[in-house]
Amino acid sequence: MSLRRWSVTLLAAFVALLTTAPLLWMVSVSFMAPGEAAQFPPPLLPADPTMANYHTLFGSFGIGRFLANSLLVSTLATILALIFTIPAGYAFAKLRFRGRDATFRLLVAALVVPGQIGMLPLFLELKAMGLVNSYAGALVPWLAGIFGIFLVRQYCLSIPDEMLEAARIDGASEGQILRRIVLPILTPIIVTLALFVFLGSWNDFMWPLIVLADQNLYTLPVALAAMSREHVQDNELMMAGAVVTTLPVLILFLALQRFYLSGLLTGSVKG
Amino acid sequence: MAGLSIRDARKNFGETEVLKGVSIDVADGEFTVIVGPSGCGKSTLLRAVAGLEELTSGRISIGDRDVTDLPPSERGIAMVFQSYALYPHLTVRENMAFGLKIAKASKTEIDDAVRRAAAILHIEPLLDRKPAALSGGQRQRVAIGRAIVRQPQIFLFDEPLSNLDADLRVRMRYEFASLHRQLGTTTLYVTHDQVEAMTLADRIIVLRDGIIEQVGSPRALYESPANIFVAQFLGTPRMNILAAVVADDGSAQLIDGGCVALPPLAAPLAPGTPVSVGIRPEDIEIGAAAGALPFTITFVERLGGLATVHLQAADGGDPIACQRRDDGSLREGEKVVALLPPDQLHLFDAIGRAIPREARK
Ligand SMILES: Nc1ncnc2c1ncn2[C@@H]1O[C@H](COP(=O)(O)OP(=O)(O)OP(=O)(O)O)[C@@H](O)[C@H]1O
Ligand SMILES: [Mg+2]
Repeated sequence: MSLRRWSVTLLAAFVALLTTAPLLWMVSVSFMAPGEAAQFPPPLLPADPTMANYHTLFGSFGIGRFLANSLLVSTLATILALIFTIPAGYAFAKLRFRGRDATFRLLVAALVVPGQIGMLPLFLELKAMGLVNSYAGALVPWLAGIFGIFLVRQYCLSIPDEMLEAARIDGASEGQILRRIVLPILTPIIVTLALFVFLGSWNDFMWPLIVLADQNLYTLPVALAAMSREHVQDNELMMAGAVVTTLPVLILFLALQRFYLSGLLTGSVKG
Repeated sequence: MAGLSIRDARKNFGETEVLKGVSIDVADGEFTVIVGPSGCGKSTLLRAVAGLEELTSGRISIGDRDVTDLPPSERGIAMVFQSYALYPHLTVRENMAFGLKIAKASKTEIDDAVRRAAAILHIEPLLDRKPAALSGGQRQRVAIGRAIVRQPQIFLFDEPLSNLDADLRVRMRYEFASLHRQLGTTTLYVTHDQVEAMTLADRIIVLRDGIIEQVGSPRALYESPANIFVAQFLGTPRMNILAAVVADDGSAQLIDGGCVALPPLAAPLAPGTPVSVGIRPEDIEIGAAAGALPFTITFVERLGGLATVHLQAADGGDPIACQRRDDGSLREGEKVVALLPPDQLHLFDAIGRAIPREARK
């Protein structure tokens, strides 16, 4: 390898280390005894690794329940978001209907409004509908994200019309075209979108905090926040909680990597 | 199998009228080529037949069925697109079987149809590949295969060869011809390439700006074009058109100098009538002869066997093209005389319509 290649590799490794260092330390601290991380200078590795923090978390604190809540909410949010977003994005890109472009412009314009501004009206709406303090209420904001629709639409625009027309001539209904032609081509973008929604709803703190009052319904971030109020000094326990929160999404992310990095459209048309 | 009939088809895109009343009859089993310059509405017409584009007015029937209001899949057509439009995530086999699968045909039926089409097009070894792993020519074949599997009453082709390189285009052209001979399916084929039109068609339809300029066999269109547009559209290099005025003795006085005798006409022209005289490059005879006109050679394009010689009239004006066997004798700058044989002249009136000749006995 040339010097140039080496220096690029070294630089990349350095940046990677810089970004992962806090994560690695988080894991390391979660195995420390109470108070150990507060020493100065802070130790990199636990002197005597212990599972005590995890025992507390899953035992008396009952994080298992919140983990399950989070998994349920995020999974449902992802599935529902895909169900609504993909057909919408496809329709905005490829189907002709009255007011299509005007509606889409309106949606995109709404993207510039920060989500926090909509929270109060949304909360009042849900209250009127009796959805406050339920998972349904927690899921509503994820159902049809504008960004997701936008993403799917942009990707659909690259699907040649002639391919859909060929399918129409082959006798496929619009539903069959979506299912059998468009969805397989969209795989990379669907995985990406699913990941975004899952991560977003998994890490979301504000909305579940607002809408979920019952402790038993808390998602992980809300539960951790509640815990940190009681255990401000307990860095090691908090880090164990953070590990439980980040690990599942990290695994998901790595597992799906190969899907959203690949493109499928090659070979349909000339080229 | 069935014929196709289009009655007074009109199509507007917003304000612009793209088809301005097109009527076409294609006989059962006929290979008809629609040819015309870019943007004249060829694709729009073909897509209307396929049912992908709704006509503003007019009727389309296939066989004895009026299909104007039927969806594409129920019209009994199959279409091959310029971009091939294969499904990228499916194998060649699945691409070809897609329509039958949608129609819930039985497995053996599908296998039979795919195998038969693959055999016709010699693509059996490719059946398990994805489109990305095929060359342009192979993709083209698969697209045709997908059309054959549908067993349509009418094949629709929209510039199917224009994405292929020159060599492959000639080969595929030959294959289209033999495919049509083998299957005998009524075919509507769109191209802007006049060579494809001349070589493939039983009948050519020349379209310009949404209007049919002329319909006829390749030979008929070449020999008696109805107007200057058709005359210049078919044949390369294109027909020379020379402005002229009818002289007192019934010959034509060329604006750029010289006088040519005219062929016998159905009705004599009054002296002073402005006309356009057309002559194909291969009909000009260089060399001394009675009635030959003086020219200067401005440029010689040597194509190997043939040469295109550009001749400038003594009095100036645009050079005219003359095509002949290249014997290496002609040089640029040389002065020659050339004959425009009266028999080979085409005569057009002031607005470009052909002036009829005396009926041949
Ligand atoms: N969906 C559409 N909306 C508006 N105008 C259109 C549409 N489709 C085609 N046109 C216009 O109609 C005219 C004819 O188009 P068409 O595609 O039929 O031409 P064509 O003869 O096939 O040309 P080419 O040889 O370039 O393919 C063009 O001027 C084109 O701009
Ligand atoms: Mg076209």
